[in-house]
Amino acid sequence: MAHLTEGTLRRMVDDPDAKVGADAAHLDGCAECQARFKLASEDARSVATLLAVPEAPFDVDKAFARVTGAPKAQPTLGLRFPILRPAARPTLALVAAVVAAAVVVVAFAFSGFFFKPATVKPVPVTVADIQALSQLADYGTITWTKQPDLHVVTSPTEAADAAAGVQPPTVSGLPSGISTNITYAAMPQAQAVFTFSADKAATAAASHGKTLPSMPAGMDGATLTITVGPAVGEIFGTLSQPAGSSANDISLPQLVVAKSAAPTATSTQVTVTQLEDFILAQPGISPELKKAVEAIGDPSTTLLIPVPIEYANSTQVTVQGVDGVALGDNTGVGSGVVWVKDGFVYLVAGSLKQSDAINIANNLK
Amino acid sequence: MTAVPKGLSDEEAFEALFTAEYARVVGIANRVLADPHEAEDVAQEIFIDFHRLHSATAEYAPAWLHRAAAHASLNRLRGARRRQKREFAQALEAEDKTLDPQKQAEVAEDRRRLRDALGRLAPKPAAVLVLRASGLSYAEVAQALGIGIGQIGTLLRRAEATLRKEVSRGTSN
Repeated sequence: MAHLTEGTLRRMVDDPDAKVGADAAHLDGCAECQARFKLASEDARSVATLLAVPEAPFDVDKAFARVTGAPKAQPTLGLRFPILRPAARPTLALVAAVVAAAVVVVAFAFSGFFFKPATVKPVPVTVADIQALSQLADYGTITWTKQPDLHVVTSPTEAADAAAGVQPPTVSGLPSGISTNITYAAMPQAQAVFTFSADKAATAAASHGKTLPSMPAGMDGATLTITVGPAVGEIFGTLSQPAGSSANDISLPQLVVAKSAAPTATSTQVTVTQLEDFILAQPGISPELKKAVEAIGDPSTTLLIPVPIEYANSTQVTVQGVDGVALGDNTGVGSGVVWVKDGFVYLVAGSLKQSDAINIANNLK
Repeated sequence: MTAVPKGLSDEEAFEALFTAEYARVVGIANRVLADPHEAEDVAQEIFIDFHRLHSATAEYAPAWLHRAAAHASLNRLRGARRRQKREFAQALEAEDKTLDPQKQAEVAEDRRRLRDALGRLAPKPAAVLVLRASGLSYAEVAQALGIGIGQIGTLLRRAEATLRKEVSRGTSN
């Protein structure tokens, strides 16, 4: 039998019950492992002694009052946490990561119905508003004519090959502490066709106890073709899943940089504006969202970035000489910046300060 | 790891989480910083951040708090080395009164050196060491840091071997 690993020996120091079976038998008969076990014990004891501190005295009630009395500052990009919860498989984790892009994916799903954007603008929404968007499937049929197909590769060249020649941006000016271990992801163009159905829409409205808003002529059977990508992403940080670990053991990346051809939408039978009006009139879309979307201006040229008002704040910033939207703040918990330039949507996001995210964005080449 | 009972309002759930976890979060921060006041500052900032962003009923709440406590206090340690001498001396004063003055000074120096080295250690082994030293089980440490339980022993061993070497090196100089 091979010698016991340092990890196994260390665990035996902490837990005598770990000394069982073949490992225990090996330790009993191996002078070398016994010596390593002794050293591990001594190191552990010595460090524990030096780390020991007197217990900190505190008053829980006072502390609680102080915490709950703290001013409710604008929340940071908390959406990152539920959305980037470790996924079931590394590939899914990567997908999740590419989407600190939470924002961008939501934007695709949502604004994809309206636009070929040249600029970005934040729209304050509630999570309920976003969730309501999935109900759009109740108003028609969604068919992928080109399935989203994510490739995970190790070099920018391979990423560009898989993404119809879209080159991953070159990142410079990384703040210290960001891993230089980069994983590349690429997605060829994906395309979905949404076909409106008057029957389904009426059924959906009825299920909300409401009647269908009056439909523009030609809406029934109208199609909307949404094209997303090609896109490439660079993920900084370790994504590998440790051997023998569970599905929850995937580390999340520190920084994601993504570049995607600006999504486009084409419609048949109705105009994009008619479509917008009709969608916003559906039951389940809140008046707040309706108001925000109406305030956007020309929907065919603006990428809407839904910002969940419970979790994230947003500010307009100038990035690479164009208007962008920055999310999060300077606490380092999480932030991101999204902008559109020369037909591409860019995203820089991660566990970093907003000023760092903007700095990286401005230095992207 | 403490789970907040279901069926509470958001505010009740947060209070239950706070009551269950505050001592542990302060303990983690104090272990790193050896300064009870600063540890409380860190703990309160963490709970304020958590309260803004998350539901106290979330399953990951305790793990999130433990991880944040380790990272936030290690970050402070890295940024505050110049203040350490005084702080560790204070912490020692409260604990080791039975030692003679020379021995006290030696131990204080070792502690200062250890925390200095802890601040230079890679984030993952440092966080594993701090959480384990604060009484978290292997499973709790694994959950807090999102790593496999099988890695804990290895990371712990690496951290302790490095720290002990650094402290010994300083002593022999």
